Amino acid sequence: MKLVRPVLVLLLKDLRVEWRGRVRFFSIVLFGGITLVLFSFAIDADGDMAATMAPGFLTLALLLSSTLGLSESFRVERENRSLEGLLLLPVEPAVLFYAKALGNFVFLAMLAPVLVPSAIILYSVETGPAGFLGVIAVWLLAAAALAAPGTLYAAMTSRAASQDVLLPLLLFPLVIPVLIASVRSAELLLHGDPMNQAPSWLLLLVAFDVIYWALGGVLARVAMEE
Amino acid sequence: MANLIHARGLGIRFGLHWALAHVDLDFEAGGRLLLAGANGSGKTTLLRLIAGLRRPTAGDLTVGGRRPFEDRAGARRELSLVSHHDYLYDRLTAMETLRLWSELCDGDPDRGRLAALLDEVGLEAAADRQVGGFSAGMRKRLILARCRLENPRLLLLDEPFASLDPEGQTLVERWIERFADGGGSLIVASHAIERASRLCGQALLLEQGQAAWRGEAAGLDAAWRRRLGQ
Repeated sequence: MKLVRPVLVLLLKDLRVEWRGRVRFFSIVLFGGITLVLFSFAIDADGDMAATMAPGFLTLALLLSSTLGLSESFRVERENRSLEGLLLLPVEPAVLFYAKALGNFVFLAMLAPVLVPSAIILYSVETGPAGFLGVIAVWLLAAAALAAPGTLYAAMTSRAASQDVLLPLLLFPLVIPVLIASVRSAELLLHGDPMNQAPSWLLLLVAFDVIYWALGGVLARVAMEE
Repeated sequence: MANLIHARGLGIRFGLHWALAHVDLDFEAGGRLLLAGANGSGKTTLLRLIAGLRRPTAGDLTVGGRRPFEDRAGARRELSLVSHHDYLYDRLTAMETLRLWSELCDGDPDRGRLAALLDEVGLEAAADRQVGGFSAGMRKRLILARCRLENPRLLLLDEPFASLDPEGQTLVERWIERFADGGGSLIVASHAIERASRLCGQALLLEQGQAAWRGEAAGLDAAWRRRLGQ
């Protein structure tokens, strides 16, 4: 409980600041949408091929959008060195990390209702409500697995002049397992799962979420403080 | 009186450059110290070390008996830093800024109390305006109101009069006086020697990261001129 209240206070602050700017959310949605459209042009394939590749493109759209959103999330803290101001308070760095990571997760999660239906329509994926909801669940688990290490790296690189370059260089290798597990589970949920493999992949995603979120809290001090 | 700050051989290195070296400091609770020196002499670095924002490369430093970088939560309950940077969120209103700080410091975001703090610094009419539209003077006043929420024993001020008009400088000076008169301890790093000397009894002159002179604040100007050969 000692951690929960300040985390919620800071999360609310982040959401309020972002809502008043609105730039980040709309730019991420637009970026994700454009990425999906570009992929559809790039493969130049018939409907079946596009539908088969839809889970991969959707996960890549999430991954690419996440880097844009993650680096932006610390821009507001850099403006007036606000993060330093928070570090001067008797608040644990883990609190700052969890608040920021939750805020990033909320932003990535909010992309799902826009990008998942867009991908289903754009790539002519034939699926029912169960498949659609399954992919939304995969998206949320993948978003959580990206938000935690992404926030940690965004904090570490936030003082670097070349943050936009450094962040994907550090993040992408770390989240390759998340990418594989997300694509495989979304494929199985959309196109059928005769061997019942989807739960194993989803469990793997949950495991990544638990590990990354726990490690993030432990490593927050190293990442946040100079 | 017990030492609030105790430093021996304090130093910090950035790459190969020692920004601060061999600094000894004994600062009593209730003391008022003026840090003076040319740009780059180490004033801000010393304040940041005391605030626990940097880990010393050499020497020992305690604030209220705690090492500020190691025991950050404990040491930071003792002090408040008014830095070059104002740490404000431009898209929050003045009232939201105080509420945020209040929730994180003492968990008592009573609107009446926060409104009284804004009233104290003359910002009551701007309570619901976003900080991004504030002038430099208004931002400084909001920072002072925010400091009150932290309820520090020790106030660290880095160039508190910078970018303020004379009226703003007087307001800040009076606010600092009230804080010190209430028993608070004060360390002020400033180029405004005359104004800052009125607030502080003692002075420490830094040159190239080292303590060059210390004594009564009233004698600082003359001592500094002597060292410059004027």
